[in-house]
Amino acid sequence: MEVQLVADRIELEVKGLDFYYSGNIHALKNINLSIAKNNVTALIGPSGCGKTTLLRCFNRMHDLYPKNRYEGEISFNGVNTLAPETDHIKLRSRIGMVFQKPTPFPMTIFDNIAYGLKLRGIKKRSELAERVEKALTHAALWDEAKDKLHASAYDLSGGQQQRLVIARALAVEPEVLLFDEPTSALDPISTAKIEDLVGILKKEITIIIVTHNMQQAARISDWTGFMMLGELIEFDRTDKIFTAPSEKLTEDYVTGRFG
Amino acid sequence: MTREQQRKIEGGIALTFSTLAALLGLFWLVFILGDVLVHGIKALNPSLFLNDPSPPGTEGGGLRNAFIGQMLITLCATLIGVPVGVLGGTFLAEYARGTKIARVISVLADIMVSVPSIVIGTFIYAALVIPIGHFNGWAGAVALSVIMIPVVLRTTEDMLSLVSWTVREAAFALGAPYYKVITQVVYRGAATGILTGILLSIARVAGETAPLLFTSFNNSFFSWDMNRPMASLTVTIFQYAMGPYDDWHKQAWAAAFVITIFILMLTILGRLIIKWRYS
Repeated sequence: MEVQLVADRIELEVKGLDFYYSGNIHALKNINLSIAKNNVTALIGPSGCGKTTLLRCFNRMHDLYPKNRYEGEISFNGVNTLAPETDHIKLRSRIGMVFQKPTPFPMTIFDNIAYGLKLRGIKKRSELAERVEKALTHAALWDEAKDKLHASAYDLSGGQQQRLVIARALAVEPEVLLFDEPTSALDPISTAKIEDLVGILKKEITIIIVTHNMQQAARISDWTGFMMLGELIEFDRTDKIFTAPSEKLTEDYVTGRFG
Repeated sequence: MTREQQRKIEGGIALTFSTLAALLGLFWLVFILGDVLVHGIKALNPSLFLNDPSPPGTEGGGLRNAFIGQMLITLCATLIGVPVGVLGGTFLAEYARGTKIARVISVLADIMVSVPSIVIGTFIYAALVIPIGHFNGWAGAVALSVIMIPVVLRTTEDMLSLVSWTVREAAFALGAPYYKVITQVVYRGAATGILTGILLSIARVAGETAPLLFTSFNNSFFSWDMNRPMASLTVTIFQYAMGPYDDWHKQAWAAAFVITIFILMLTILGRLIIKWRYS
């Protein structure tokens, strides 16, 4: 790879990662990439290329299902998270995730945000209130939600729900936030709000985003990985991927020749 | 005749028949409820709730023993049936989701729901009455809980399955262990449905007679002792309605009225909860 990241700016480093679903479906093949701290890294590629599979390796979501198997290493600030002794619960509190469809819990807006905090043993009402406000402000939802904190989260619109879910993930102050096509179920205005938010959030956390929308990747990411059939075809600075990719396949994909 | 006219006539016929069928059903329902209401209210008096039965053939007395017995048996059945049903449903929908054993248990529970309750009564008779040597209240409670369990289990399973899997994943992604995901997130999402299922299952067993006839039987005396035979409204209605005394018939009507209202209330409460939650 031409561009080498300075070692202390690397948050996550994937080394020789292979992933198998249900023991034998080879979904990721020898993936190597580095995720820069406080940058937005986008993963793009046609459906079924493995970008979501790769994303879900970072917080070990695959471990929820039997017989899934990793090989290789993902180093998170120097520690291999794929090691068997990794505490998934601790890992997931440091690496948050936002899903394609909004996933509010069946409780009030306040309790949604407080959920992760309570899981970490924070019980004091005043501290919860303070951190809920901070998280909602962070996710640009405070003004819309402050008067109905104790209303059901389902009362919010789809775009607001997605920001609520982001606020919920932010409340526990993760170091990395994974986004799995966070705007594919949203209208353009909500999408723009989430994209703006990503730009602001990267000052404090590292973001990895899977997206189907190439314009979105070009707009918001600093680095882009292009994947196909379980392989990482090219990984580089976003402007380079979209203007002068080194691989023919990447060029064909970003110019819309297939995918 | 044009096609439009023909269609109109066909529509009219279908509407007429379905309306008639609905009216027929409604007629019997109103007839039965009305009859219970009229006779029941006439026979209602405070003595019914405050006194125990007087000797057969003599006027007066009440059904205090049967009200208390019914309450105790139903309460104990609920205390046994609800935890087993809810936990069993949780096992099927969560820990055993998609496995063969979950499907087998699900199907068996469906079959259990439609087993005639007298079969369950005779089974508990063999299991809990004969070995003990006499009818007892516990056997009645267990018989009712056996009827309850498959209903609660299947409702719980269905309601938990309705909570989308991505919501669980979102909770996992926040670092929640599975038991917390279930108890704090999934149960909340399914709470209304499960609660309604529980209420309806109580309503279902509160009206059962056959299983109690073989298990708790009846008792003309007031008793809190679940180890002894115990009176219940349904068995009392059966016995009194068959009896030769007018006063017994009146009390049977009153008891039928009370139990009908109780079940009606439970059902309405169940519906209200659904409406309140999903409106």
